[in-house]
Amino acid sequence: MTAKANALAQGFIRCHDCGYLVKTVDHPPSCPRCDSHLHARRPHSLQRTTALLFSSFFLYIPANIFPIMTVNQFGTGEPNTIAGGIIELIDSGMLPIGLLVLVASILVPSSKLIGIGLLLLCAHFRWQINARRWTVMYRVIAFVGRWSMLDIFMISILVDLVNFGAVQIIAGPAATAFASVVILTMFAAENFDPRLLWDNQKNL
Amino acid sequence: MNSTNYDACPECDLLLRSAQPKIGEKAHCPRCGLLLSRPRKQSVERTFALSIAGFILVFPANLLPMVGITILGNVNTGILLSGVVALFNEGMVAVAIVVFLASILFPLVHISLSLLISGHLYFNRHNRFLVGWMHWMHHLDEWVMLEVYMLGIIVACVKLMALAPLKFGWGLYAFIALIIITTMLTSGLDTGLFWQRIEQLTKENNHDS
Repeated sequence: MTAKANALAQGFIRCHDCGYLVKTVDHPPSCPRCDSHLHARRPHSLQRTTALLFSSFFLYIPANIFPIMTVNQFGTGEPNTIAGGIIELIDSGMLPIGLLVLVASILVPSSKLIGIGLLLLCAHFRWQINARRWTVMYRVIAFVGRWSMLDIFMISILVDLVNFGAVQIIAGPAATAFASVVILTMFAAENFDPRLLWDNQKNL
Repeated sequence: MNSTNYDACPECDLLLRSAQPKIGEKAHCPRCGLLLSRPRKQSVERTFALSIAGFILVFPANLLPMVGITILGNVNTGILLSGVVALFNEGMVAVAIVVFLASILFPLVHISLSLLISGHLYFNRHNRFLVGWMHWMHHLDEWVMLEVYMLGIIVACVKLMALAPLKFGWGLYAFIALIIITTMLTSGLDTGLFWQRIEQLTKENNHDS
């Protein structure tokens, strides 16, 4: 099989939304079945993904430095960063839950940033790679992204429930930054077109 | 070459002869391994039934108390929306909006759309909005985060258990049932079949008029 096996090389475009296969010779402006815009590859895939990746990278720094929530007990406030919250969970003997939060809010976002970066480099510099393996990596990145919202949901529940005069939990500025990181990386993964990895392969 | 006999893999763009797997079989892309189609038994009927159940469950899951906590004799109970309100009152407007969308609005819209679409297909009714609804449902899919919210509840409860006694309400059970239903719904929905049926209905409608 060569890159010539690609549908585009043989004159076909697959509609992005409904999966309808359209002949490029007919030059239809939009999909005959669902009327959405036709494009062979996601438009400006690499530029958009790079822009989203950089913004999420810069937001990732405040997300980890600033407190994500503050526990006020009898007048004394105790700010917690993302890492601090995990250490506290593990220290208090809740290892499995601590590990779960560690995976969802530290390992997943950071490996996502690195992974999308690698995919971009690979597509841009036309590295000759095992495209199947890289596509699987893309799939994993696209799948796990949403699970990082766990921390944000947990904070919304804690802030709501622990709201007594003497004991209070307040969300911190890192929450906004972290939520933006998760959403922007989800958009970045959505904008990256894995078919670019296959287009660049000289011999498959 | 008739384009309907062919298909392209959405992730590696390999041109394929259209696979017609039987019910219970799966079609994978031979080059990149992506699951291309997996037809389910009575996809329209099942989606319709599950959408009705889900649409009913949305209301208790949103309105009934989920988790209650007692500190120093005071009881505090939370529902889905009260978390959003609490964040909003603290000035975390952006986060509050994100939580509201992912846990309340998008799930409701998603289930309403699948109810509308599968209902129209079930009764063989044409509607000019069907295509638009399919687009919206397709785009919303990833942003319905009920199961992630469930994990958030679990982690929050583990953290709070050390602090004070907790009480679980009917809202939580309805929420869990809603998650099970939406998961069955998304896994049983055969997008390819739905698009084919919509195309068919549109053609019949054009023919009639």
